[in-house]
Amino acid sequence: MIRISIAAGLLSAAALAGAQQPAPPPAFAASNLSPMGVRALASNCAACHGTNGRPAPGSTLEGLAGKPKNELAMAMNQFRAGKKPATLMHQISKGYTEAEIDALADYFSRQPR
Amino acid sequence: MKIQRREFLKAGAAGVVFTGLAGCAGMPGGAPKARVVVIGGGYGGATASKYIRMFDPSIEVVLVEPNDVFVSCPISNLVLGGFKTIGDITTPYTGLERNHGVRIVRDMAVAVDLDRKQVRLARGDPLPFDRVIVAPGIEFIEGAIPGLKSPEAQSRILHAWKAGAQTVDLRRQLEQMRDGGVYVLTVPEAPYRCPPGPYERACQVAAYFKAAKPRSKVLLLDANGDVTSKGPLFKKAWAELYRGIVEYRPNSKAVDVDVKASTVKLELEDVKGDVLNVIPPMKAGRIADPYITANKRWCEVDWLTYESKVAKGVHVLGDSLQVAPLMPKSGHMANAHGKACAAAVVALLNGEAPNPSPTLTNTCYSFVSDKLVVHVASVHKYDQKDRTMKVVPGAGGVSSAMNEVEADYALNWATNIWSDSLA
Repeated sequence: MIRISIAAGLLSAAALAGAQQPAPPPAFAASNLSPMGVRALASNCAACHGTNGRPAPGSTLEGLAGKPKNELAMAMNQFRAGKKPATLMHQISKGYTEAEIDALADYFSRQPR
Repeated sequence: MKIQRREFLKAGAAGVVFTGLAGCAGMPGGAPKARVVVIGGGYGGATASKYIRMFDPSIEVVLVEPNDVFVSCPISNLVLGGFKTIGDITTPYTGLERNHGVRIVRDMAVAVDLDRKQVRLARGDPLPFDRVIVAPGIEFIEGAIPGLKSPEAQSRILHAWKAGAQTVDLRRQLEQMRDGGVYVLTVPEAPYRCPPGPYERACQVAAYFKAAKPRSKVLLLDANGDVTSKGPLFKKAWAELYRGIVEYRPNSKAVDVDVKASTVKLELEDVKGDVLNVIPPMKAGRIADPYITANKRWCEVDWLTYESKVAKGVHVLGDSLQVAPLMPKSGHMANAHGKACAAAVVALLNGEAPNPSPTLTNTCYSFVSDKLVVHVASVHKYDQKDRTMKVVPGAGGVSSAMNEVEADYALNWATNIWSDSLA
């Protein structure tokens, strides 16, 4: 019974916190940066940059696999800040948090070229 | 059909050897952890098949697909423009088998039997499954265009909205059309497969006419009130590149055709054309019928798992889905669904919780000529309150103007996504 009342207390506290915020659109779930979560996140990049960041034979698009983590993270953060010219990546990069970008950069830096 | 089963195991073993993974899936006498049957080898189903095997090689994957090869809808409008061939947009399924040990069954799935947990095929023995992924794409709503009922009418008035034989046939019709002729393209009410597709097609046919048949016209009859995707960019291309060739008419819903008179019937008038290209309204592919829950057309799913809202163990993805807000029915989106679904299916089969915060991206390039391209892009994340995917505010957008740089990117995108889905 004690456990239940604590849970109820937490719930009402959370509801209160929610009510105080000015209607936050949208309620995105927290990033999943577990190894499998990052793998799934990174798979989004593959449609353009190749599976695991390795472009397909015949593609001249930039590969991500095996690039230094700093280089990858900096590029994404610069795209995101509008400091690096882009046709599209300035728009895509804004869909990722800094923590996600860091995890993605780490993931691709570890992939074989 | 005992042989099929034996070949199945052999293929599984080969997959393990090729990918160098010491899983137990194909070990002699070793049983696979589970079996997933995937129905449909388009962008969604093919990608899901590959990524399940990548994420967990101890799960067997059987892909049921009636076609010998994959023909891409994206880039297929360039075949109509005469800038690409059907061969350029065709990819074999062999990569999935060779590189990932996916067993491909060339057959047509006719039913999913949930009681027996097996997929019934048109020709072969039923395929048992632990989970099934249903990814049949779209089919046209029967009777929506009554004049298209007969096979003869269907062979004369093409949709070419499933790339392949019809793409080639429509190109032939355009080549055979007299200079000074009218090509009529009708757009169904949204949602339909590939929102920018019809407008890109108008550009491609116009580019061909401009070069080869300059007195000809493209008449675009849109059931919608305005261009449904990249509107200002397409309208600029029509005005600047194809003035006097492309005529756009919104709020012009095709309700029927007259094959003999070569007319498209709108609600209030008939429009005559030399080549009629009618894209009928569409719904989820037939095998997904039991999972249709939205407007008698589309399938709703749990966006964390892609599991049908009305059938446990059945996952639906790609164009058959009732999309989330601002989510297009696109090849890129289906590829993204395929990966998110694969991750969820692997988690569920391993007794783990699915990813609570999936992210999807989309990029659609459209060729407004042979050299100029425009894009629309978006990033979608899971909203845990509304339990749907929503676009990330501030992310995504369209090209600032039609440009040549993105033509190069668009063709590279195609090369990479075909490989990411199929190799």
